[in-house]
Amino acid sequence: MSTNHDPRLAVTIAGINFNNPVLGASGTFGYGLEFAELIDLNRLGGFVTKGLSAKPLSGNPPPRIVETHGGMLNAIGLQNIGARAFVEEKLPPLKRYDTRVIANVFGYSDDEYIEAITILNDGEGIAAYELNISCPNVKEGGIVIGNSPSAAARLTARAKRASSRPLIVKLSPNVTDVAELARAIADAGADCLSLINTVVGMSIDVKTRRPRLSYGTGGLSGPAIRPIAVRMVYEVAKAVDLPLIGIGGIASTNDALEFIIAGSTAIQIGTANYYDPAVTMKVIDGLSAHCRDQGIVAIGEITRSLRL
Amino acid sequence: MIDIVGITKTNLEIAPGYRLLRLALDQNVEVRPGQFAMLRPRRAREPLLRRALAIYRVDGPRRVSFLYQVLGRGTEALAQIGEGGEVEALLPLGNSWPIPRANERAIVVAGGIGSASVLMLCEELKQAAVDTTVFFGAANAGAAVGCGLDDFRAYGFPLTLSTVDGSAGEHALVTAPLERCLKKDGGRGATIYTCGPWAMMKRVSELADHFELNCFASLEAPMGCGFGVCVGCVVAVKTEEPLGYGSYKRVCTDGSIFNSKSVRWDINAMGH
Repeated sequence: MSTNHDPRLAVTIAGINFNNPVLGASGTFGYGLEFAELIDLNRLGGFVTKGLSAKPLSGNPPPRIVETHGGMLNAIGLQNIGARAFVEEKLPPLKRYDTRVIANVFGYSDDEYIEAITILNDGEGIAAYELNISCPNVKEGGIVIGNSPSAAARLTARAKRASSRPLIVKLSPNVTDVAELARAIADAGADCLSLINTVVGMSIDVKTRRPRLSYGTGGLSGPAIRPIAVRMVYEVAKAVDLPLIGIGGIASTNDALEFIIAGSTAIQIGTANYYDPAVTMKVIDGLSAHCRDQGIVAIGEITRSLRL
Repeated sequence: MIDIVGITKTNLEIAPGYRLLRLALDQNVEVRPGQFAMLRPRRAREPLLRRALAIYRVDGPRRVSFLYQVLGRGTEALAQIGEGGEVEALLPLGNSWPIPRANERAIVVAGGIGSASVLMLCEELKQAAVDTTVFFGAANAGAAVGCGLDDFRAYGFPLTLSTVDGSAGEHALVTAPLERCLKKDGGRGATIYTCGPWAMMKRVSELADHFELNCFASLEAPMGCGFGVCVGCVVAVKTEEPLGYGSYKRVCTDGSIFNSKSVRWDINAMGH
């Protein structure tokens, strides 16, 4: 199937060529195939899989999600089919599509991250790894590593050595100084940074006086967190020279452009996929129209173009 | 599964707090009994997420309707839509009720607005000439009307109405007349179909186990997407290793209809 791509939208990150800078975010895009009925996956820049661990994970008990104003809290707990099943069952059908597949990798310990990467190295059709050191909904691994620049740097260095593919590290916003974290991870050898993961939050049922989520706290996503994310992309863009992928409440072309101007080479769309499954297509079309209207020859021209 | 914009034909309150939304679609949709849709007013900013509503019935070519109770922000937003209003609709979603053969029996147990999931089932049972009995429970007389009592009566099946406050039918939970009926004849091999509050379905499941009857339950859970990607709407099912891998199934794509024997009724998936 041939798809006409707007050449103005093509971007390259760590040697990977994307048809456009619009990607589906981890945890909101399943294993990609779920969207095949709803959108033309060949038009998508790429997507990031649900977090994959060396062994399948069962996740947290329900309730796992609750809607809040302008967003939602989730505490899924990384339920996933495991890296091996992804390689054997999901990658072969994904080969039919001209889109970049990024595998999000998770472990409860450094060793488990490396084990998952080692399994995924066998898979054909993965463009890059995204190291999930920012999931707030597990008691080990994830955010426990991502909150500490030294622990994050140590894992990044090991993952980079183990990986046969470019390594993206996904940053947590639940830190005092995201720029310091970004520098530590960049110095450890990451090829790209993606940010932000969800913001830790809580919602309480006032009648039962219990948290609305079984896990207690959850990760806040959706438009409510967008300004936080744009600010963090801007701060990280000042701190490191690596390419950045902006994430956080993007639901429109304008939202995507904010992230690109603040410092992103590409963007990921997350929660909006739930309530508008074709949002990625709309943003791709919108970016093309913006380039045309503004006389932009390559979208990369406006990355890190914030005027102060 | 398609994502389309439906045009509101009517969105009338049929009893206080209960509404019937009738949509015109620009294409035909093949709907099986028990399937649902994710809906929200087009271009709504709040609430963000679409709401999962059972498809109440197919009214004709490119026409579907939804019977719903106004319970929170999502359904309140839907209640505001007037004639001609646009509704984003992802449908049809989920699995469907397994239909018994003509010589088999069926018992339908509807509690509250759970009735919306079983009207099309009743239609199918009628067409398949299945010997069917309906137990219909609601909070009160008004709610019973709001939950579509008249539509159910139109099929002509024996129907036992019960209300929590006794304002119509028997003054009891819907499971009381069900239990009495099963004690009398053991259910005679019927398959039980149920949709309603969690505690009600849990009791129906216990009764089905006790009388060794097959039972299917349509579950509900807060949903992010409705098509399997957010993994937010899970229900715990029985597995060899309790709560091990595979113990959480998605209500949206693995259900919403489950064999009641597979469900961990001690872990409420509805979150309330």
